[in-house]
Amino acid sequence: MISKKTALGQGFIRCHDCGCLSIKSEKNRLCPLCGGRLHPRLPNSFQRTVALLLSAFCLYIPANIFPIMTVTRLGVGEPHTIIGGIIALIHGNMVPIAMLVLVASILVPLLKLVGLGLLLLNVHYRWQAHAKKWTIMYRIIAFVGRWSMLDIFMISILVSLVDMGGVAQVIAGPAATAFAAVVVLTMFAAKSFDPRLIWDNQY
Amino acid sequence: MQRPRKQSIERTFALSIAGLILIFPANLMPLVGIKMLGGAKDGTLWSGVVALFEEHMWGVAILVFLSSILFPLLNIILSLLISAHLYFKKPHRHLAHWMRWLQHMDEWAMLEVYMLGIIVACVKLASTSELKFGFGLYAFVALLIITGMLASSLDKVLFWRKIGQLRK
Repeated sequence: MISKKTALGQGFIRCHDCGCLSIKSEKNRLCPLCGGRLHPRLPNSFQRTVALLLSAFCLYIPANIFPIMTVTRLGVGEPHTIIGGIIALIHGNMVPIAMLVLVASILVPLLKLVGLGLLLLNVHYRWQAHAKKWTIMYRIIAFVGRWSMLDIFMISILVSLVDMGGVAQVIAGPAATAFAAVVVLTMFAAKSFDPRLIWDNQY
Repeated sequence: MQRPRKQSIERTFALSIAGLILIFPANLMPLVGIKMLGGAKDGTLWSGVVALFEEHMWGVAILVFLSSILFPLLNIILSLLISAHLYFKKPHRHLAHWMRWLQHMDEWAMLEVYMLGIIVACVKLASTSELKFGFGLYAFVALLIITGMLASSLDKVLFWRKIGQLRK
């Protein structure tokens, strides 16, 4: 049952790409302005988001357990996990940078996993309250996602710069792949979630 | 919600030309140099990708390549193509496709995140080694500003409306 207040409830479909409104009917499947395919809501939005989110959650565990990079100094290797790198920064009296990395590589992915999970629960159980706040939360999640790539870029720079053979070397660890996958999967999950689903259940 | 922007097409056109010029030094010239225990090394956008690839981290390498080199480049090229066609009022049958790709790609061009990555990496290295900032970094910062301005000057509603008008 779709609420009468939404555009779809009144017989309109909005194009995903150009935002053009057109009247819902059997024959017009293409947007009159840009020629894109029209869907009332993103197709299979709920199922896709659940699948992407679950795989991201599974990968989040190895991303935090395994070393994200190994720093070799004079032949002695020293593996760093994500949290280990932050603690090293705090010990080096670089608290602001440590906070930045903490936010970007631990809090943001966690917030996205939990936040999108809550949004999915909201849609599934048709929670009635605070639709506006949920929508704001979705926007924050969608905006903030790309900043988690910070750690990956930092590793790519360190790996290319610190490469002095046996003297000093940085090698990327298995967690880097897992973490990159978490970031990409949660970005896709945020994209496949249709925030209008929140509003469809409001009366 | 978006409010209409002044001279959106002209500005997007000009900024994307500037971006296209800047993207070459930003990609090819060294961003940061390092001196450590007698050895010296320069880092470019490309060398990070290559180093990751050599360590068989091809997944991460491809992701870094896409988000720091390919997508920013495509982003600028597509803005240039679209705004040039709209500026000279020349219809093109792929205009709507380009605009759609541009919108989907927007999120995946992460130059500003890369900049933060450079800063964090420099802070980590500063205690143990000597750092030198290359010309590429200045070009990179300029490119960053240009892409930021590009994103804020591009009026999606206006662009779609103009594309729609050209189709008729």
